[in-house]
Amino acid sequence: MVRFKHRYLLCELVSDDPRCRLTLDDRVLGCLVRDTIARVHGTFGAAACSIGFAVRYLNVYTGIVLLRCRKEFYQLVWSALPFLTYLENKGHRYPCFFNTLHVGGTIRTCQKFLIQYNRRQLLILLQNCTDEGERDAIQKSVTRSCFLEEESGEELSDSDDEATETVA
Amino acid sequence: MSNAKERKHAKKMRNQPTNVTLSSGFVADRSIKHHNGGGKPFQVQKQEPHSGTSRQRQTKMMPHTQPEPNMNEQSSSKLTFKKKGGWKAGPDGTSQEIPKYITASTFAQARAAEISAMLKAVTQKSSNSLVFQTLPRHMRRRAMSHNVKRLPRRLQEMAQKEAEKAVHQKKEHSKNKCHKARRCHINRTQEFNRRQRKNIWLETHIWHAKRFHMVKRWGYCLGERPTVKSHRACYRAMTNRCLLQDLSYYCCLELKGKEEEILKALSQMCSIDTGLTFAAVHCLSGKRQGSLVLYRANKYPREMLGPITFIWKSEGTPCGTSENRQLWIWLHPTLKQDILEEIKSVCQCLEPIRSTVGLPNPLPTLFQEKSQTEMTDEKIGKKRKRRDDEEIAKPIKKIIGDGTRDPCQPYSWISPNTGITISDLTMEMNRFRLIGPLSHSILTEALKAASVHMGEEALEEIPHRWWIDVCRNTDSVSLHRRQEAIFELLGGVTSPAEIPAGTILGLTVGDPRINLPQKRSEALSNPEKCQDNEQVRQLLLEGVPVECAHSFIWNQEICKSVTENKILDQDLNRMRSELLVPGSQLVLGPHESRIPILLIQQPGKVTGEDRLGWGSGWDVLLPKGWGMAFWIPFIYRGARVGGLKEGLVHSQYKRAPAIPADFPDCPAGALFAEEQAKNLLEKYKRRPPAKRPNYVKLGTLAPFFCPWELLTQDWESRVWAQKGSSLEASPSGEKSDLRRCEVPHASTPEQPPQPSAEAVTSVTMESEVLDTECQDQPGTESVMDQDASENHVAATSSQLCVLRSRKFLKQLSTWCGPRSEDRRAARWGPGRGQQGLTRETCLVFVDHFPRALVWVSLSLLRRGSPEPHSMICVPAEEDLLQLSQDPQYCGPQEPRHNDPFKSVILKQKEKKKMEKRQNRGCAASKGLVAGPPEARQEAPTLGLWSGTLPGLTSHCSRALLGFVTQGDFSMAVGCGEALGFVSVTGLLDLLSSQPAAERGLVLLRPPASLQYRFARIAIEV
Repeated sequence: MVRFKHRYLLCELVSDDPRCRLTLDDRVLGCLVRDTIARVHGTFGAAACSIGFAVRYLNVYTGIVLLRCRKEFYQLVWSALPFLTYLENKGHRYPCFFNTLHVGGTIRTCQKFLIQYNRRQLLILLQNCTDEGERDAIQKSVTRSCFLEEESGEELSDSDDEATETVA
Repeated sequence: MSNAKERKHAKKMRNQPTNVTLSSGFVADRSIKHHNGGGKPFQVQKQEPHSGTSRQRQTKMMPHTQPEPNMNEQSSSKLTFKKKGGWKAGPDGTSQEIPKYITASTFAQARAAEISAMLKAVTQKSSNSLVFQTLPRHMRRRAMSHNVKRLPRRLQEMAQKEAEKAVHQKKEHSKNKCHKARRCHINRTQEFNRRQRKNIWLETHIWHAKRFHMVKRWGYCLGERPTVKSHRACYRAMTNRCLLQDLSYYCCLELKGKEEEILKALSQMCSIDTGLTFAAVHCLSGKRQGSLVLYRANKYPREMLGPITFIWKSEGTPCGTSENRQLWIWLHPTLKQDILEEIKSVCQCLEPIRSTVGLPNPLPTLFQEKSQTEMTDEKIGKKRKRRDDEEIAKPIKKIIGDGTRDPCQPYSWISPNTGITISDLTMEMNRFRLIGPLSHSILTEALKAASVHMGEEALEEIPHRWWIDVCRNTDSVSLHRRQEAIFELLGGVTSPAEIPAGTILGLTVGDPRINLPQKRSEALSNPEKCQDNEQVRQLLLEGVPVECAHSFIWNQEICKSVTENKILDQDLNRMRSELLVPGSQLVLGPHESRIPILLIQQPGKVTGEDRLGWGSGWDVLLPKGWGMAFWIPFIYRGARVGGLKEGLVHSQYKRAPAIPADFPDCPAGALFAEEQAKNLLEKYKRRPPAKRPNYVKLGTLAPFFCPWELLTQDWESRVWAQKGSSLEASPSGEKSDLRRCEVPHASTPEQPPQPSAEAVTSVTMESEVLDTECQDQPGTESVMDQDASENHVAATSSQLCVLRSRKFLKQLSTWCGPRSEDRRAARWGPGRGQQGLTRETCLVFVDHFPRALVWVSLSLLRRGSPEPHSMICVPAEEDLLQLSQDPQYCGPQEPRHNDPFKSVILKQKEKKKMEKRQNRGCAASKGLVAGPPEARQEAPTLGLWSGTLPGLTSHCSRALLGFVTQGDFSMAVGCGEALGFVSVTGLLDLLSSQPAAERGLVLLRPPASLQYRFARIAIEV
């Protein structure tokens, strides 16, 4: 089909200091990435990447970030990400770095990858856990995440019904 | 617009996970806690930037939807998911502020929550595509969209739901029957009956509907124009061959009673001024058809009602008394309401007939039949015959077709005083019109006079008893033979124009379906028949004798029996197939139907000098039910069928006013003009402003309608202003005035000087005649000048009228002619023709018809093709000068006007835009309160004059004289031709100011052009 082709970069924000997440926002993050690109690749790079650049998804708790850029220049964005070393909040700088997990052509593939990735992480966490209480909690969340997969069909029907209600 | 877009986007994004941030979480969480009344602490509200309103609504709905997530209580974590795939996660209320350290459990919870959000996003399709569209190409299969089983099994459930939804959206299957059942005859006729309830269908409707663009007009369904390209072909058919039209939608009113009473009553409605009336000798005997214009009783020349044609029933026997005469008035359906009311009041016929013995009254049968239809409608299984259905359908459509009338209303009225009975015979008869020279041969080939019944046998079950009765009478048999002979003679006449205008011939013919040719063929006039023998010459000279105008169609009983005893097409075909020798002539003997018909000659072009008799033809009147039986034979003889548009072309080439468009002074005409203006305006507004003419800049004040009232008022005041000034200059009165205006006329070399004495006598004669005619207007010459102002005041209250007095029209037409003045004068003798165009004669006109219009025809001198609503203008002197110097001169140009409305409209637009923007800004607070009042202000259309029209005549550089109502390139003449109305006062002003050689030259300008073209004006009497 005729469309603009994008690349989606699924990244993980890794930081020691939890406070850096306080005001993390898609807008702030976008500005940061843009600045970094401008710093690394100059005006040309900034201009080339500014078209179609967006932060599509952001989860503060897990630190997952989904960036979108045009297919032609995603290398520029990608290569600029390692130079993003800190987040700024109220004058304080919190050191951090980005870990690129996946580069995909659609949001969908990124989401699929993210599911796999998170499952793997949970299992690793479960294996490495020593504390009993925590072990229980993790167990539950793991089962829940798997459980939801089965329930999804049911939930879907519910949401569909509601959708029709709101439309009506 | 943007709202819909937003909604669409929101729908698409509803399954997608949204951003989860800390800052957004707190506020929403607080508020919800508050709502819950300190209930469970949960739900970090997420922020959704895209959906504005829907999100708000959702938060409002929150209390209701809350119980659902609570059901997921088995999970110990407080991270629950909101339904919309959103993120409802939040740690405990107490530890929510800032996560100081990461515990494994919260980490795991966060991960789990994200997994489920993503899962949802991945597994659910985005809403604006169908299920199978989410599949990759290579997995798609044919007919997936309506066969669920072709999808992979995991998607079938979703697809099922979707399919159900789609079925709901689709229109309900209105037809509960299959195609075959619908085509079944009973159901079809039922369906047709249902569809005829709103608009009357002619009997040829189905035939027309297959070949014509149909329009719903005047309560009928009529064919407007053929779907094939046939403008020129129809014209050729009119001039060289034969054009057939179904005019059954014309209404017929029947008046029965004593001759003197009818004449007395109707004489109030017409005037001898406009031509022959109901009492004309030829018409009264029943020999000819007459046509005239009806006015409201004693209101001539104002309050016109409409043009009609009429036929008197001829007295069967010469010694017949004038006790019981029958008169048919044929009129256009738009005029029927007014004329019927007026005739009723004139004849004092207000008593509706419920049931009488003598009169064949269809009313009781109507009820009967109606109940029959109801019954048959109930009994679905019962098979109905087509004939039944036809009969049932007809009374129903007759009544309902009128819309305003309820079915129980009578359509016959009788007057106790005068004994006149009026009945409305609408749709009781069919009227077909054949136009063109070949109509004779078509008629003579298609119709064969009925064979006279000889034997006495088999009387018991013969349906056509009336014909047997007739055949017993030797007188009527001989009459039938004479009619037959004359009808045969007609085949030898090359053109219907040779027969005297309006000739009526009655006839009884056999079933025309029996001798239907195998193939459609062209009936050519037979040259052998065209010999110039004595009988033909006599026929042409004297017309059809009076007795032969008699027809049984006047007798309603016979018509009814003829309609009832029609053999079905089906039966006829069956009999044909049972013939021993296939293809041989079918002989039905006494069982053959005999149909009484009436042939009426229609005069073609009777006015003017060129192409006299063009477009003449015959009208055939048939009893109802027989329409298609005659229609197909005519077509099989080579008649081409035209619709309403062809009728319009016919009247245009005949230079006759079309009904009802060209009768601006009758109510139907005014209504028509109104509707036309509305339609044109709508059409105009549909175009973008840059792609449509700016009529303000073009100087066209009224591009869609013709403001006759304004026009005549303008001219009246103009002339009165002139007259006033001239009177001031010469207060001594009539004589000096006369002499004064004599001088300029004498000075022009072309005009022969008029002897003043003659002028005076003519003027006085004129005034006398006028006095005798118009008693209500005492305008003699002596008092005229003194009472000028009074007269003027009286005149202003008078309405618009169209000049139809033959005497005045003749005078005007003489004046219009540029060169042939002498010739005409010689022809018309000294009494009329010598009346020159002087100021006094003009004044007579102006006084008696201060606001009159006159029907004129214009032919363009050189290029240009006029359009309807073109303006007829007075040429300036330099135009005429230039034309005389350069015969190739096309005409002047109108300078471009300024558009004072454009800036206003633009400003308003700006303002509106600003308001809109502001409204959008504060829409949340204000809502819809501020919006509507400004918006409802009627916005002027760009390119049209808004508000009241300024001085109409003097708006452009050339004074406006009138408007064109019909105009096109005329294939008959080979140049542009137009028909229209001009103001009489304006015309007189124009004529008196022009030198005689160039008299009658005007300028024409279409509404969307700046170019004027020269045209010559003519008034044809």
